[in-house]
Amino acid sequence: MLSLQHISKYYQVSGLKNFVLNDLSLEIDQGEFVSIMGPSGSGKSSLLNIIGMLDEPSEGYHYFAGHAVHQLKEKQRSALYKQYIGFVFQAYHLIDELTVYENIETPLIYQDFKGAERKAMVADILDRFNIVGKKDLFPAQLSGGQQQLVGIARALIAKPKLLLADEPTGNLNSKQGEEIMELFRKLNKEDGVTIIQVTHSEKNAEYGSRIINLLDGKIESSKQL
Amino acid sequence: MIGNYFKTTLRSLLKNRAYSFLNIAGLATGIACASLIFLWVQDELTFNHNFEKRDNLYTIYENQTYEGKMSTFHATPGPMAKAIKAEIPEIKNIARTGGTNNLLFSLGEKTINEEGSYADPEIFSMLKMPFVHGDITNAFTELHSVVINATMARKFFGDSDPVGKTLKINNEQDYTVTGVFTDLPKNSTFKFQWLAPLANIDHKMPWMMEWSANWTLTYVELVSSANVNGVNKKLQHYLASKNNGTKTECFLFGMNDWNLHDNFVNGKMDGGRIEYVRLFSIIAFIILIIACINFMNLSTARSEKRAKEVGVRKVMGAGKGKLIAQFIGEAIVMSFIAVFIAIGFMYIILPSFNNLVQKELSINISEPLHLTYLVSIGVVTGLLAGSYPAFYLSSFNPIAVLKSMKLPTGAGFIREGLVVIQFSISIILIVGTIIIYQQIQHVKNRDLGYNKNDLIYVSTQGKLSAHFESIYQQLKQSGVVEDASLSDFPVLQIWKNTDNYSWEGKQPAQNPLISFENVSSQFVRTMGMKLASGRDFYPNSSLDSNSVIINEALAKQMGKQGHVGAIIRNVGNKSYEIAGIVKDFLYNDMYAVSAPLVLYNNPTGTDVLSIHIKRNVNLQDALVKIGAIVKANNPGYPFEYKFMDDDFDQIFKTEALTGKLAGVFASLAILISCLGLFGLAAYTAERRIKEIGIRKVLGASVAGLTGLLSKDFLKLVGISCLIAFPVAWWALNNWLQNYQYRITINWMVFAAAGILAMLIALATVSFQAVKAALSNPVNSLRNE
Ligand SMILES: Nc1ncnc2c1ncn2[C@@H]1O[C@H](COP(=O)(O)OP(=O)(O)O)[C@@H](O)[C@H]1O
Ligand SMILES: [Mg+2]
Repeated sequence: MLSLQHISKYYQVSGLKNFVLNDLSLEIDQGEFVSIMGPSGSGKSSLLNIIGMLDEPSEGYHYFAGHAVHQLKEKQRSALYKQYIGFVFQAYHLIDELTVYENIETPLIYQDFKGAERKAMVADILDRFNIVGKKDLFPAQLSGGQQQLVGIARALIAKPKLLLADEPTGNLNSKQGEEIMELFRKLNKEDGVTIIQVTHSEKNAEYGSRIINLLDGKIESSKQL
Repeated sequence: MIGNYFKTTLRSLLKNRAYSFLNIAGLATGIACASLIFLWVQDELTFNHNFEKRDNLYTIYENQTYEGKMSTFHATPGPMAKAIKAEIPEIKNIARTGGTNNLLFSLGEKTINEEGSYADPEIFSMLKMPFVHGDITNAFTELHSVVINATMARKFFGDSDPVGKTLKINNEQDYTVTGVFTDLPKNSTFKFQWLAPLANIDHKMPWMMEWSANWTLTYVELVSSANVNGVNKKLQHYLASKNNGTKTECFLFGMNDWNLHDNFVNGKMDGGRIEYVRLFSIIAFIILIIACINFMNLSTARSEKRAKEVGVRKVMGAGKGKLIAQFIGEAIVMSFIAVFIAIGFMYIILPSFNNLVQKELSINISEPLHLTYLVSIGVVTGLLAGSYPAFYLSSFNPIAVLKSMKLPTGAGFIREGLVVIQFSISIILIVGTIIIYQQIQHVKNRDLGYNKNDLIYVSTQGKLSAHFESIYQQLKQSGVVEDASLSDFPVLQIWKNTDNYSWEGKQPAQNPLISFENVSSQFVRTMGMKLASGRDFYPNSSLDSNSVIINEALAKQMGKQGHVGAIIRNVGNKSYEIAGIVKDFLYNDMYAVSAPLVLYNNPTGTDVLSIHIKRNVNLQDALVKIGAIVKANNPGYPFEYKFMDDDFDQIFKTEALTGKLAGVFASLAILISCLGLFGLAAYTAERRIKEIGIRKVLGASVAGLTGLLSKDFLKLVGISCLIAFPVAWWALNNWLQNYQYRITINWMVFAAAGILAMLIALATVSFQAVKAALSNPVNSLRNE
């Protein structure tokens, strides 16, 4: 599904190149569930952002679903991104001024779905995530776990092929975390969604089919489960 | 999609009520204020638009040459109209009026003075005046006919049709009402309430038929195909053939220019009201821009709070274009809310504004022009105000924003630049207000050479002039009158003049325009003028019929002959002996030095009775006593008086209005700028809340923290001063060049304006700063 070859990412700090990712290569197939682990500052988020096309690598080749991403223009990249990728954040990042319903609906608006279609899709996912009763509440009225559920629903609403999650359980207690992981597993198994998650928890990492350990911007180890 | 945007917009507006209020109130004030000015501008620009034929209507002006310089006058010789109509084929219609007359109309017991004109009948078709009653074609077939406007008709006849009824004019002659025309709009040059045939006064005096006497105003309608320059060529030297080689030139002055381009310098059109129209339009735009700047500033400041929303939307797949559309859309929603509030403001302010500008402006939302204006102002200010925040917000890198929840800096500099612009404009307006005020006061406090206070005048209708001797005696006996006298004109405006005086040693090239006035012997005393040398007039005018009093300006013109006892000759070569020289006094142009003048001791035929009331008497009592005396001696006429100092104030109407408006605009500009500053200060305080908390924990005092937070803003006001001062100096120095008698600009004014701006800014900012400094550091630190 995607392939990174000799990817580097660095920031110039007083003339010196400060490498965040250093000549990193990685292949991920359709249907995989990859957990990325590593100490803080090892470049996990940076890697995820590059995979998600939110950021560009300084060097290297990036292929995604048959496209050479490193050669695409911003517009094409964003079209590709909209079509394939959903993002889940540690801090949920819901829009405070919108209700649960409206937050979930937002990506559909940007992908030009018709009103009736949007209604059906949102209703469907609310149902699936068991949050129909919360649809008119604002993010501030939800617990952390509920907010993250909304965040995931929003990431999944446009039926992405690839779900990227940067420490999705980082702000949750272990029970809430487990529920989210179960959900991910189900998505991966039943819906065939490819998932890449960053996590600090060994236990959560083991929900995946592969664990990648990052250290200083390089892959230290990769373990198939 | 739009629904989704509106939801975020409205909810975020409601969530940040104070911010929204500042933002919208500032913009609404700006829009209301600019719109009022534009209403005024529209009124000025559509002057005389009620006259359908305005593109082909002209009046004839004369350029007369004195001392090598051309002066422009409106009056023309009586026979001219008929003659040029016959000779110039491009002239389709021509009509004359005798200027404006204030005559007494009576119907039974009811007597009212009404202003109007004697005119040729062609005026009706030229002005296409709509008649409510009567017949336009036969209105003036009888000599003693009069047409009146609807208001005047209502005063005398109520709602009934007055055609065929009679009104007595000046208690002498009955005139038959032959028509009623709809009132002319207020923004029309013609102000007449009635018109009567010019034939009533034409040919009454032998000089009215002479080509050398200018007394009628001539109005011309050209055929649409006419070449105006061609007609002007024919007119230019036309008078020379009729009036033995006079150098006086004639030209057509088009109706479309009457209101805005009525100033002539050396025979050429040179500005006029258009300058004020331009000035006020610029000010209106400036106020709009200030309000938009506010809006931009507050929006970008607030945008830092919305960084997360932008980041999330970007990650959700919002492209740059969609985000720009969202934020511009939001700005337009806000600007339309502001437009609605502004319309409300305008309805509230309009009566006082009308009072200020002496107009009857009205807002009419259903009028296409006003509607288009309101919609476009909503869209344009929305675009203007929203574009910067839109591009700024949409350019964020989503990861950077989501990671830190903060925006890249850089907007700070632009924001500060905008504040500097706002304050520069405000300071310029403050300086302008002060200097215009000083200039008006400077001229008003000028020594006029006479005492305009406690001075009233009435026009000598009926037997007033003839019964002057007995009136005078009774006035003196009443104990409330200092003195009284007759004259051709009220002293502020002396409009008789000629260059036909001569004296020994006068050079052929020397032809100053000399004013002259017939007065009764008490004139100099009544006005409180001072004699520089010689004597005052003898009380018995017949003993004094060969004497004149001249002013110092004329004495100077006469050179060696400018002394008491010298001889001056007038048109008919009649000689007069200079009995006295009066110290120069000001008339006509309050900004210039006084022009040469001759006074004759000849009260017959004078039009104005001036009465100087004693200083220490009760004015109301005095007016009652004077009124009784005047009425007793002039039965059948009302006692209508005017105060000379009111007339004097009237002369400064435009300047006073400019000054007042500049003051109002300056206050508004400051107010709007302060709304913006208030918001920015709040934002800065909020952003630095953690820093403030830490500093407090480390022992900083409230005063120290307030200073820390206010300092940067005061620096901006300081920079604004540096920009504003030279611009203000340049602009006002230019304006002052219009006046011969003017102030010199004092640096104190700039200091005062600068300090005022500083204090206002400090008051605005320190409120926020003190609030932030007083906040409990534990709260702010825990929240981070
Ligand atoms: N904009 C930036 N400028 C400079 N250094 C950065 C920037 N963003 C991230 N870094 C650095 O990159 C490194 C990796 O960051 P990140 O990918 O967020 O690590 P992780 O998610 O594994 O904790 C860190 O050392 C961080 O300081
Ligand atoms: Mg990270």
